[in-house]
Amino acid sequence: METLSHFALLLVGGALVNNILLTRFIGLCPFFGVSNAMETSIGMAGAVLFVMTLASTGTWVFWNVLLEPLGVGDFLYIPAFILVIASLVQFVEMYLRKASPGLYRALGIFLPLITTNCAVLATATESVKPGFFKMNVAYSFGFGETLVYTLGVAIGFGFALISFAALRERLEVAPVPEIMKGTPMAFITAGLLSFGYVGLGGLFGL
Amino acid sequence: MDLELVLKAVLSLAVIGLAASFMLAVASRRFAVEVDPRVERVLAVLPGANCGACGSPSCFAAAEAMVTGDVPVTACTAGGQPVADAVADALGVEKCEVSSAVSMRQCGGGKVAKRRFEYSGVMSCAAVVRVAGGDLICPTGCLGYGDCARACPFDAIIMDERDLPYIDLDKCTGCEVCVTACPRGGTGLLAMRPADAGIAVRCSAHDKAKERRGYCSVCCIACKRCEKVCPTDAIVVVDLLAVVDYDKCISCGRCVEVCPQKCIDLTGRALALSVRDSDGAGPDVDGFEAMTDEEAASL
Repeated sequence: METLSHFALLLVGGALVNNILLTRFIGLCPFFGVSNAMETSIGMAGAVLFVMTLASTGTWVFWNVLLEPLGVGDFLYIPAFILVIASLVQFVEMYLRKASPGLYRALGIFLPLITTNCAVLATATESVKPGFFKMNVAYSFGFGETLVYTLGVAIGFGFALISFAALRERLEVAPVPEIMKGTPMAFITAGLLSFGYVGLGGLFGL
Repeated sequence: MDLELVLKAVLSLAVIGLAASFMLAVASRRFAVEVDPRVERVLAVLPGANCGACGSPSCFAAAEAMVTGDVPVTACTAGGQPVADAVADALGVEKCEVSSAVSMRQCGGGKVAKRRFEYSGVMSCAAVVRVAGGDLICPTGCLGYGDCARACPFDAIIMDERDLPYIDLDKCTGCEVCVTACPRGGTGLLAMRPADAGIAVRCSAHDKAKERRGYCSVCCIACKRCEKVCPTDAIVVVDLLAVVDYDKCISCGRCVEVCPQKCIDLTGRALALSVRDSDGAGPDVDGFEAMTDEEAASL
């Protein structure tokens, strides 16, 4: 029971309480870049869920097998993780193109774009160095915890992105003053939306 | 300087790099996807506008479908006959004839048609119709905010001085993007007709003629004069609106001459650019003569 509630907390904490987009403001480029249309945001959310889970588990393995035992992880984690993430994305792209052309076409351009997405790097880093963002966790994540936490973050990312895209589609036809049209209005909307997520901060006493 | 640490760092990055490149090298062999060279050849002759008129989401998807035979070589609506021939050449199959279509506007209102309020919001037809059904009183007429002109992937539509879309027939490819973009495309404000058709009815309203005249001076009033004068029974008043059967129409132009509202128009002439008088007088039709009986009979 203890472990079950721990995993549930990790999932909800990653998805809602510490929503990567709206409480921590990481990965804002796709948040504003692709949220113009519902269709592209769904594609992006799917691609992020896919790549983030793979990248975090992949980097966790390299960290625990190679970097940590050699004692070089503290200063080498960023180049090493970027290397792992970039090759993983390339690999996934090749594999999908062969195995599932439908999914490959659906994810489209978003798959290669995610290579340099800061949200993916941040989640991979947190999984091995939770001190990077204080989650009241005093130790490094295990493999299962990494998987669940990353899933939570990716679901939170997709949820925030898709709900924001729905808001922006409505904003298109709203009577917005000329000077506030487009991105300025999107920034204000994102700020208001963020209030709601910050309000979840007291949930579960996290 | 701790040399050992430097060595470890270089070593660990090299190991990761080697592992990744090995994995990618294997994957590129293992998961290589062969692209049919015919797809590239077909893609090269397609217009490349990704307009979606053929039903495929992109020209690449259309090229793939043409190669596999899922769609005919004439599928490219935008390209018409030249592209169909080029595709047939690229694939080494027999050429077939394309029946091409172009867009036509079935409204002559524009500035002449009355508005029920002054609209000042997002200048887009899609936005205007959300405000109490639009500022135009006519439920089927052209709103004139140019969604079709912005949507046209071939720049074939411009908004003229009457606030009506003018369709450049040299550029129109019949891709139907404008019909989809028009919020009133469903009621026939923009519709497709054969490219060689001679006339177009510039009205798509079906409400009572008396009501119609109240808010528009250039609408069809269902007087049936065109129906009576037509030698081939090609134009018939259906549901209080003149409708042309382009299979029967011989483009003799008698209906154009006889129409009291001047709402039947010759297609393909630059008449659309002439400005109607503010009192709603019809377009300038000087210089137009209907065919004689002998000419019509020779068709």
